[in-house]
Amino acid sequence: MVEVGDRIIGYSTDTGVRNKGASGGLVTAVLAAALEKGLVEEVVVLKHISEYEAVPIITSDVNEVLASAGSMHTVPVNLAKYAVGKNVAMPGKACDIRGVIEQAKRNEVDIDNTYLIGLNCGGTMYPVQTREMLINMYEIDPEDVTGENIEKGNLIIRTRSGEEKGISIDELEEAGYGRRESCRYCDVKIPVNADLACGNWGVIGELSGNATFCEVMNEKGVRLLENAIEAGFIEVQPASDKAIAIREKVNNVMLSMSEKWSEKIFTEIPDSERTRYYMEQFADCIDCGACKEVCPACTCGEDSKCTMYHNLEDNYRMSMFHMVRLMHLSDSCIGCGQCTDVCPADIPVTTIFRRFAEKSQKKYNYKAGMTLERPPFLEVMPR
Amino acid sequence: MKEMIYQTICPGCGVGCGLFIRENDEGKLSIDHMKSSPVNLGKLCRFGMKLPHYYAKANNAENMVDGSAVDAETAIKAAVDILKDADTDSVALLSVGNTSNEEQMAFTKLAETLGTVVQTGVQKMCMPEPRTLAGIEKAKKIVLFVDPYVQYPLIVRRLLAAKQNGAHVISVGTKPLNLADETLDLKPEQYGELELDSESLIIADVHPNSDAGMVSYVKALAKGTGAGLQFMKPFMNSNGAALLANKDGSRIGLAELMEDIELGNIRTLVTLDSDPVELMPDAEAAIEALKKLDKLIVISSVKGPATGMADVVIATDPVYSKAGTFLNVEDSLQKNSGTGKAGVDALSLLNAGIGGKTFTHDEMNYLVMKTIEASKDGPSGKMQCSGTDIAVSSTDIPEDMYELRYLYNPFMWSDREDDNDFVLLNRNTVKKLGLKKGGCVNLKGEKGELKMRFRVESIPDGLVLTAKKLSIAKGVSTAISMEVC
Repeated sequence: MVEVGDRIIGYSTDTGVRNKGASGGLVTAVLAAALEKGLVEEVVVLKHISEYEAVPIITSDVNEVLASAGSMHTVPVNLAKYAVGKNVAMPGKACDIRGVIEQAKRNEVDIDNTYLIGLNCGGTMYPVQTREMLINMYEIDPEDVTGENIEKGNLIIRTRSGEEKGISIDELEEAGYGRRESCRYCDVKIPVNADLACGNWGVIGELSGNATFCEVMNEKGVRLLENAIEAGFIEVQPASDKAIAIREKVNNVMLSMSEKWSEKIFTEIPDSERTRYYMEQFADCIDCGACKEVCPACTCGEDSKCTMYHNLEDNYRMSMFHMVRLMHLSDSCIGCGQCTDVCPADIPVTTIFRRFAEKSQKKYNYKAGMTLERPPFLEVMPR
Repeated sequence: MKEMIYQTICPGCGVGCGLFIRENDEGKLSIDHMKSSPVNLGKLCRFGMKLPHYYAKANNAENMVDGSAVDAETAIKAAVDILKDADTDSVALLSVGNTSNEEQMAFTKLAETLGTVVQTGVQKMCMPEPRTLAGIEKAKKIVLFVDPYVQYPLIVRRLLAAKQNGAHVISVGTKPLNLADETLDLKPEQYGELELDSESLIIADVHPNSDAGMVSYVKALAKGTGAGLQFMKPFMNSNGAALLANKDGSRIGLAELMEDIELGNIRTLVTLDSDPVELMPDAEAAIEALKKLDKLIVISSVKGPATGMADVVIATDPVYSKAGTFLNVEDSLQKNSGTGKAGVDALSLLNAGIGGKTFTHDEMNYLVMKTIEASKDGPSGKMQCSGTDIAVSSTDIPEDMYELRYLYNPFMWSDREDDNDFVLLNRNTVKKLGLKKGGCVNLKGEKGELKMRFRVESIPDGLVLTAKKLSIAKGVSTAISMEVC
């Protein structure tokens, strides 16, 4: 019997999935069971293209779900939009889950029919930059890599020969490698906004590396786990107090790193310089619209305020597109980094939007994408 | 639900941006960003973002004979009959590089059987060795003969990175660029003022409408100063087309080819994903020229003006679903994950039909790889380029008129709908004509009138710039008059 608030440690009963999947393949097995037993019609998974590339697919094929097992920290995609209009189960980092919740707030996702398995995430990396980092910093052939993990502030890389090499994240990031900028200041590492919050933090002893720590966040989480247990897809056991404490400790270390990055990046801009700052930041924009297209918080479609009041024939360097998006995202930017990733002019769009949103979100103690709570900006301020 | 995901490159320009095209079971297409592509890290420009519209089923070419839909076999047979009857001296083949290396190679085989060459739309000329796009970031001084924001947007990030590394960026042209430290409107004889050296990099482009004189001057500038030279190219496989076209034989520019058609020297034209109406600045004149042909055979994946005029259309797979490889502007070999071989198969049957051999896609791929390998050490790759005495062409603009000039954009060939339907004018012109913001300007030329919206930009007096192909344009530069709408 599973209950909300339970913290368990588990793994897949299928040895193939257990060996291939990250941390014992629990997440893959829970997703496969959800599909197999009809809890959902489809599952969103990442289809491997290479160790450094994957594409999200929506599938109703259990074998395709099982084949997707494996961690992909070098694939910085946000899965939220793939859940739109579906009865699906999906894995996701905290930012993926935040994106789904923002979509649900805007009635694009039926949250009751969407099962979210959150994955602890210390950050994701860019594929091309990661390959370069492996050669320059780790002196490892990128083709030899079989997996990676973040432990005690180090990025550990595993190779085919079983060798493990770790370098401190601080050192990597000083050298211009490591995690994407938005991951560095991300302040949700354990996806407590999901139905299940899973990861390898807190898995110790014999099970280390071969099992997943999982916290049941709500009734949907209960259904997911019970379904997988009843289907015989997973085996679980209660997490020990020590395991729970270690998980919390790792989380605190990661959050304290994030706080340092936040302080470094989100410096105060004097009011007199704000307009100039934003104008300069967007001056190289080529109007591709990619930042809007990939934004997991955006549900407007092609015709939206930011595009309708904006035209290329305008002479302004910072256009209505940017201004409307700054306003819209002040209450909904989840800081996932997708807009920065796809910007062809390398404008740090996420950081600009987060910087704009930070002030107001802090003032109202509101964090987008964590719950279905309406943004306080929409409420009438009491006198 | 079953989705198809194709790993491919953008057909917009020669940068060769990697991306995924997703096709759902209802045939709806969407893009995914391929972040592992070293060329673009998954980033795409405005054209790339609109690829689902470009690739929409309604734009796909269909097999046709004399305007009626037929099956592939019938279309190929009709093309064979045309080529068998044609006087081989008056047959021309055109492929500018909008398709795979394997189709290019198959087209060259067809040209060999016909005893002719594949025209690529660009004169055969000595070109410097391709440079890596990443190399842009290391240059100390960069001179731009292109507008990267409009023409080749995926080099904007390279230029900004170069600036962060301390590069000084000069734009040689009339339109100020945000990323340029200076904008200098220089004539070729003033290029010495640029003070370039071996740590400098010149970025220019070569396309069917390039001014041969300007290309020569730019090459001479690089040679004389020791500066690096990066020629951008407008088509996804411009480099593949140039490399795989017959080694021997004269290649002429697109304008000369059209002139030959106009003069009746060419009576039969076979095009491979290359529509002269879309490629030529004066679409109307191109249509009139094509009407003078006895026969037009179009082999293409997309519909265009030429497919509507063709005696025979042989449809190939959309670019994203083709099997095959491409050479981008830095000569980096890229591969599609698609399996479509309709283009090579059709060319094989066409070749056999006129007395040549049949071939397979794999055979063409083998020859492509062999040619690429040989080119690495071949003499052409190491050719030293010097300037020639080709003069820079100029259009005489009467004093009371304006010069309408193309801000050449590789995407013009597609002539797809975009929101860049405005011209650039300077403030003096706006004041002089009494134009109001949000209003429009009436452009008048020999070919008629056109109402356009406008944007104010700091460009020289007397100049009107357009990044969109306009019906009143006679060439890259056209004399026009203007008045308020």
